[in-house]
Amino acid sequence: MLLTKTVWSSSTLKLAFIYVIAFCAAVFGLLGYVYWSTVTYLYEISDRAVSAERGVLARAYEAGGRDSLVALIDRRLTDPFFVDWFYLLVDPSFDYVAGNLKSWPATLPGHNGWSAVASLNWQSEAAKRSPLRATYRILPDGHHLLLGRDIKDLDRFGENVTIGLGSAAVLFLILAAAAGISTSRRSVARIEAINATSRKIMRSGLGERIPLRGTGDEWDGLAENLNSMLDRIGELVETNRQVSDNVAHDLRTPLTRMRGRLERACNQRLDLNDYRSLVNDTISDLDEILTTFSSLLRISRIEARDRTAAFCNTDLSEIVREVVELFEPAAEEKAVRLQLSAGETVHVVGDRDLLFDAISNLVDNAIKHGGDRGEVKIGVARCADGPVLSISDRGPGIPTNERHHVLRRFYRLERSRNRPGNGLGLSLVAAVANLHDAHIVMDDNSPGLRIELHFPIPQGGMPSMSDQQEQAWAIGVDRP
Amino acid sequence: MSGHARHVLVIEDDAETADQLADCLKSNGYEVDLAADGEDGLRRALAADYVVMTVDRMLPRIDGIEIIRRLREEGILTPALILSALGEVDDRVRGLRAGGDDYLVKPFAFREMLARVDALARRSGTVVKETMLRIGDLEVDLLARIARRGGREIELLPREFRLLAYLARNAGQVVSRTMLLQHVWDLHFDPTTNVIDVYVGRVRRKIDGGQDYPLIHTIRGVGFCLRAPD
Repeated sequence: MLLTKTVWSSSTLKLAFIYVIAFCAAVFGLLGYVYWSTVTYLYEISDRAVSAERGVLARAYEAGGRDSLVALIDRRLTDPFFVDWFYLLVDPSFDYVAGNLKSWPATLPGHNGWSAVASLNWQSEAAKRSPLRATYRILPDGHHLLLGRDIKDLDRFGENVTIGLGSAAVLFLILAAAAGISTSRRSVARIEAINATSRKIMRSGLGERIPLRGTGDEWDGLAENLNSMLDRIGELVETNRQVSDNVAHDLRTPLTRMRGRLERACNQRLDLNDYRSLVNDTISDLDEILTTFSSLLRISRIEARDRTAAFCNTDLSEIVREVVELFEPAAEEKAVRLQLSAGETVHVVGDRDLLFDAISNLVDNAIKHGGDRGEVKIGVARCADGPVLSISDRGPGIPTNERHHVLRRFYRLERSRNRPGNGLGLSLVAAVANLHDAHIVMDDNSPGLRIELHFPIPQGGMPSMSDQQEQAWAIGVDRP
Repeated sequence: MSGHARHVLVIEDDAETADQLADCLKSNGYEVDLAADGEDGLRRALAADYVVMTVDRMLPRIDGIEIIRRLREEGILTPALILSALGEVDDRVRGLRAGGDDYLVKPFAFREMLARVDALARRSGTVVKETMLRIGDLEVDLLARIARRGGREIELLPREFRLLAYLARNAGQVVSRTMLLQHVWDLHFDPTTNVIDVYVGRVRRKIDGGQDYPLIHTIRGVGFCLRAPD
């Protein structure tokens, strides 16, 4: 029932009707013109024959006067070829002289011209009552001559054309309406299937999917797209749930610590120094929570893609040089050797702050996890498929089965659980990479980890590849 | 400047935050006027001559950014520190574009806030374009980009010199890590690692190493301060 109702209110049906009406108007216009020109042409042919016959009669009259004309008319009346012709000759007082009409038609004026004459004036009763088309003329001696043809056939032709056109139009309307309704029913049925799935999803969750018919038509295409959109939403919801769980866990721990500390302060007698250290500890715990919060917010906002407005052409090599310079003392402290190979300018369309932050995180990780007296190699290069940033260390690396997970929020490898950090660094890198349409490749540096960021080729094409001499230099860090 | 040289306007709608801000500023020698909504704040800022104002981003009646925009239209250039719970860089950029001079994300450490107000207050004071800064026996020549301690030249990388120059320009004032990242590296995010500390540590070794007294001090939980001993 619902389906029938929606068919009638469907926009496809309305559209179908509009098309039918427009098409009908066009067809009627065309056929009307054909009808009009055909009928006019037939009348013209008939009129021309009548004119020729009038010429013959006129010549007979000129040659032999009235008697010769009457004789010709009588001959014509017996000629089977002229069976649908009619003639009438009357004297100046409109009394019958010759011909197959009884009397001069009352409606006809007494001067030269063409007219239609009613069939009632036929002399013979047997004659069919059909319309006539006649021409008439006043002869020099005052007689009136009427000459014409039966146009019954012409009129019948016109009627046939009218009936043909009319029934064609009716048939056309019926067919168009049927086609419109069936198209609407089809699309309404598919839309209704999508609607039903949407309602189910609203009621019971993201488990439902729109059924496919396997026809590969545009409806299936739409359903497939909607289904993959639902898959994506499902993934996001799942990630969100995991993140909320992790947030809850990561926040509960310091919050519990703080609560316990405050409770103890409330119940026990402490001296001023104890109070001071308690407050300081609480402030640093709070700062930790706030940092985690800001990092989470920052990642979500980067993921929401509302920062591409600040994108401009930036030099990846320059950023990497600055990062390396910033981290040089930190590397020095851990006796890690930072080796940079970033010679020429490598353009990337992006946000300098975000790229700096992401690369800082990677370098920071490499220094932290690369092991003491290790070596961290940082390189920027133009490859055939776009700029590539690579950072490799000599640390324990990341097990292959965990590489996929480390980009998730709060994910921490077992061995680094008790080190400082919130497990958000690589999530930020992933978010920034995503925003820049870059993809992350993690590889075994045997030993160690090699992370690569593959950026897309900046629009407007890459500069020529010929000058790809890579100038490598190491920023020397004296080992203590 | 006039007698209002140490007068700060605080536009903040949360009463407790406003009180805390006022307390902190008063105990550091500022006189404080409070405005609880945008309209009042704008009226006060137009009427009196303040050395600095702090503006909450979201205010009843008139938005913080709008206040600053209107003041700048009136030609009033009182340095404005925007305090906001909206932390992303886009918001900062929007605030700074409207004519705000600095931006701090809530919640903030009061000492960080104070460091920024101090920096802005000094800027609004008599602007003397000094090219040679002297702190104790340290000389920073901003034109020649040379630093000397006790008459001996110290070798610094360009970035290290920028860092020292920024500390020297704010000598005696606390400078936070975020301020350093902003002014020395031109980066607008909060550093999550201790990398800035380590970097400052190296500059400190070059400046203070083997000297009689240290000049660069770490202020726990906030940042750094370059100052001569009393």
